Amino acid sequence: MTTSTDAILSLNDVFAGYGKMTILNGTTAHIRKGKITTVIGPNGAGKSTLFKTVFGLLAVRTGKIHFDGRDTSNWSPRQMLDAGMCYVPQGRNIFPELSVRHNLELGGVALADQSGLGDRIEQMMQRFPMLREKAGAQASTLSGGQQKLLEVARGLLLQPKLMLIDEPSIGLSPLMVQEVFAILKDLRDNGVTILLIEQNAKMALQMSDYGLVLEQGQTRIEDTAANILADPRIAELFLGGGLKPAAATAS
Amino acid sequence: MTDFIQLIIAGLATGAIYALAAVGFTLLWQTSQTINFAQGEFVMLPAFFCLAGIKFFGLPFPIAALVAILLSMLVLGVIFKFAVVDPLMKQGTLPLVISTIGLAILLREGVKETYSAEAQRFPSFFPNVNLGTAGFNVSADQVGVLIVATGTILLLAWFLASTKTGRQMQATAQNPTVARILGVNVERMVLYTFLINGALAAMASLLISPIYLAKFSSGETLGLVAFVAAIVGGFNQVRGAIVGGFLVGIIDNLVAAYVSSTYRQAVPLALLVLIILLRPQGLLGRAEERAV
Repeated sequence: MTTSTDAILSLNDVFAGYGKMTILNGTTAHIRKGKITTVIGPNGAGKSTLFKTVFGLLAVRTGKIHFDGRDTSNWSPRQMLDAGMCYVPQGRNIFPELSVRHNLELGGVALADQSGLGDRIEQMMQRFPMLREKAGAQASTLSGGQQKLLEVARGLLLQPKLMLIDEPSIGLSPLMVQEVFAILKDLRDNGVTILLIEQNAKMALQMSDYGLVLEQGQTRIEDTAANILADPRIAELFLGGGLKPAAATAS
Repeated sequence: MTDFIQLIIAGLATGAIYALAAVGFTLLWQTSQTINFAQGEFVMLPAFFCLAGIKFFGLPFPIAALVAILLSMLVLGVIFKFAVVDPLMKQGTLPLVISTIGLAILLREGVKETYSAEAQRFPSFFPNVNLGTAGFNVSADQVGVLIVATGTILLLAWFLASTKTGRQMQATAQNPTVARILGVNVERMVLYTFLINGALAAMASLLISPIYLAKFSSGETLGLVAFVAAIVGGFNQVRGAIVGGFLVGIIDNLVAAYVSSTYRQAVPLALLVLIILLRPQGLLGRAEERAV
């Protein structure tokens, strides 16, 4: 069990959901600072709901969320941005009819000192030269992989402490997936905590430090990625089945 | 040939006014999914704000016009949003659409009961002189309307494309969830859209009333034309609404002159049917991809 001292993000017995549906059923988790943690679990386990709740897009019904030493339960997305968290949701999240530069610029809306925005955009273009090449082009003309890079760069503009990234590999070529994963590892090496949801759990865990197995809105396993990969119970999960009842008591 | 050019100029002038109403219509749809079937009445009403200012408060015309624009932004922008759209939006798009139809009737009958059922003469900003030469008539009114309406649209286009606030509004229209995730104050951007629509409706009203007179029922045609212009151009594109507005204006004038003015009302509808059959996404529209 992870202690909360080295955790940048902790959930304690969090309940959340949509309307009458409760998706998170008392989720408890501790995400370690400066590491990559991959959340895995079957469809409907509450992975994306977990992200939305942490980022303030869904209300916390009961329970507590702490981020970077503060109780952030039911903070707004804007407050979470200011606190140092960014969120890259699943799918296409660009503004198709705005230019690449203007898409990037919108990542800086929450920046308190707007005078520094130009420099930050410049830094991102230095880091991802593709963005400079395409700066004037409509974002809709980018390939799927390039769009994902733009979304990541846009999230990084605020120099977040933690990035929530939901299924970045969906619809990308294997080569592009490698590139995105390499960027995430590089971010981790520069001190950014990454919390990742991946359908391709095995590949994601191989590059992660920790793993979190979610099922029916509850944490089943919270361990190092290596241990989870070696866990025979996980194989069943990869095949789409649930954990055996005995597994629940083990966590 | 001179006839034709005169008709085109007249068509551009009325088309520019239609474009103002259609752009507002499209903006409301884009940022708040409000289909405003009272848009025609929104264009009818500000002229009466202006007339009331002159008649009851003795304001000079330019001041009354300015007051009408500000009052429109308040009533057709802020109050419309908070009293009608926000509470009804929770019930879904259709109840809101029906409510705007009800609002249209309320505004129409309200003006009829409180002001007058008669068509009112409306002062023009422009002198009544002919700028053309002998045998070629171009009134200063037409040129003035064209310049002011086009100028307003260009100013709006510049604001949307070249200011940070304008781009946040575009972001809100294109993907409100992601805009919120990036920290855009989505509610404020939506409010700005309603304010802009109120101002555009007022501009259209002040420009069209000197030509067609101010009448409580004039919103019926104007609303239809704005709706058709928005659909023809492409419902999800501001530039589509501009093109649609000019197109309807020009065709309107040409048909009235060369075919028959009896068919004038039918022209926008015929155009609508044609576009929906041949190019349902509109001339400049893109097929809708809306995340659920």
